[in-house]
Amino acid sequence: MSRHLTVSGVSLELEERGSGRPLLFLHPGEGLQPNRPWLDALARTHRVIAPHHPGFGGSALPDWFGTVDDLAYLYLDLAAELKLENAVLVGACFGGWIAAEMAVRNTERFDSLILSAPLGIKVRGVLDRDIVDMHSIPRSEFMRLAWADQAKGEIDYMALPDAELAGIARGRESLAVFGWKPYMHNPRLKRWLHRIDIPTRLLWGEQDGIVSLDYAEGWKAEIAGATLTTIPNAGHYPHWEQPDAFASLIS
Amino acid sequence: MKTWYFSEMAYHPAWDKGLERGSLRVNFPSENLDPVEAGTLLNRYLDEFALCDEVGLNIMVNEHHSTATCMTVSVPMALSIIARETKKARLLTLGNPIANRPDPVRVAEEMAWLDCLCGGRLEMGLVKGAPYEIAPANSNPGRLMRRYWEAHDLIVKALSTHTGPFSWEGEFFQYRNVNIWPRPIQQPTPPIWMTGMSVETGVLAAERGHVVGTLLSGGLAKPMYDAYRKRARELGWEAGPDRMAYAAIIGVGKTREEGLRRADIIAEYVRTAPVVAEPFSNPPGYNSLGANVAILKSGPRANRIVTDRHGVQINHRTATVEQFMDTETVFAGTPDDVFNQIKAFNTRMGGVGHLLFFGQGGHLSHQDAKDNINLFGKEVAPRLLELGVPEAAAAE
Repeated sequence: MSRHLTVSGVSLELEERGSGRPLLFLHPGEGLQPNRPWLDALARTHRVIAPHHPGFGGSALPDWFGTVDDLAYLYLDLAAELKLENAVLVGACFGGWIAAEMAVRNTERFDSLILSAPLGIKVRGVLDRDIVDMHSIPRSEFMRLAWADQAKGEIDYMALPDAELAGIARGRESLAVFGWKPYMHNPRLKRWLHRIDIPTRLLWGEQDGIVSLDYAEGWKAEIAGATLTTIPNAGHYPHWEQPDAFASLIS
Repeated sequence: MKTWYFSEMAYHPAWDKGLERGSLRVNFPSENLDPVEAGTLLNRYLDEFALCDEVGLNIMVNEHHSTATCMTVSVPMALSIIARETKKARLLTLGNPIANRPDPVRVAEEMAWLDCLCGGRLEMGLVKGAPYEIAPANSNPGRLMRRYWEAHDLIVKALSTHTGPFSWEGEFFQYRNVNIWPRPIQQPTPPIWMTGMSVETGVLAAERGHVVGTLLSGGLAKPMYDAYRKRARELGWEAGPDRMAYAAIIGVGKTREEGLRRADIIAEYVRTAPVVAEPFSNPPGYNSLGANVAILKSGPRANRIVTDRHGVQINHRTATVEQFMDTETVFAGTPDDVFNQIKAFNTRMGGVGHLLFFGQGGHLSHQDAKDNINLFGKEVAPRLLELGVPEAAAAE
């Protein structure tokens, strides 16, 4: 079940389930997919709060809203609105970028940060792509790079109702609005990662073809005390491909 | 009906290699182009443009990027040369892809400069650009049309403001001292054109009184023209044929066979040009939500399907010249044939004031291109000038 909550003037669709310590889950660019098993797996040990990013699912994307800065402030406001205390902040892929932008600003409502194959920083030189250009490769190539087992990521679009397809199309446009240029990163973010002052764990699928383990090391080097754990038989979306292993690493 | 000749200035010698790779655009390496041959072709194409002035045709130039289908990378650069080589022709940019231009004030400067250079013969198209132009420009396909309209409004203001600097603090563009020199001869701006394929574009163009152009499918053009005329009426004015433009491939010959042969060669452009690697054909946000839902349901469109005027589906990748004639992509035959086809088209559309004469797709020889321009310019274009609002539409 989802509900709508207006935060800072933005109408957000939230998925909530479970009880216990709060966990704010920020979804990847591929969308939240709330009917897949990972939210339930996380909800076995936590009170899970998972917003659809503005422009995704049933969340509105107001005209004035359009940067990852906006997303970071919006979710800090959401955490305050929900009076979260000692919460776990989890971000996957694009959601990991948002979580990092939140954590360099303010961590008072969170006591740990989980970044799962985050996008968002620039590590190597101008001619090196840290993040695969997912918008310049065919969908079939994207699937091959993003998954250890592609079958787990297949979506049968023909079987989805129009409203859900419209949500997917809106989400794709919204991801472009937020992350097209510079491509899926903030050139300044790496220099501010030192501000993250809560225990931080990086999770990485061993078969991730979108962002490499070298890129993971780039993140680890900038955040004091950060640890890096790899997950076997997973690509770029370990929460999707190995939901139980993912959830057990968080609890 | 006025005629405007245009040519994509194609680099057709590389097409076969591009087709083998499944993409002529964006990711087709330029090692497949011989720059000396490119120069020879560019000079040949510019000679073909210059000939148009001699036979009384107007001229249109467009631009594309990273592609073997069109070597014109800058409309103002090409038109600058053509402006110096012509005396009478009106010169149309169709267009400046302003949603992909980082600096709209620069566009206004270039257009003003051109209008001065050519003695006020400029007509200024401000266009969205094709989906595969997003990648070469690395412009954001999200909120593309909002950026388009902000650029449009800024260009119009820059061209029509002559009383010193103004500032612009918009969503996408920020300036503190806009004050372009020179300013255009035509005031407040050179005539403005837009392009599109949708009813929505027809409505938006009518609200500004701009000329609206479309291409290659009468079936798509008619609803857009109708929407334009209806919106103009709602706003209290009557949109005449001079607000509507249509681009078609035209092959004229002394015999029907010769005309069809020329059109068939030019049509190779239409069969080839849409071939582009999948990720560049529909960047997220470029198409409407409704169109994207349809694409998700059916998978990416491998081919461009257009419905002809009898309701038959035609695949533009493989269409014969006769099939192209049924979709009004092509007008071809003797001068009389072509005149009669265009006259009938004008009637079906309710009056189209501008014909964009696509007369060179690449493979057409220089001699054929010149003969085509000469025959059309001398034997068809003068008769088209008499076509206006068709009687049936005027009686409505």
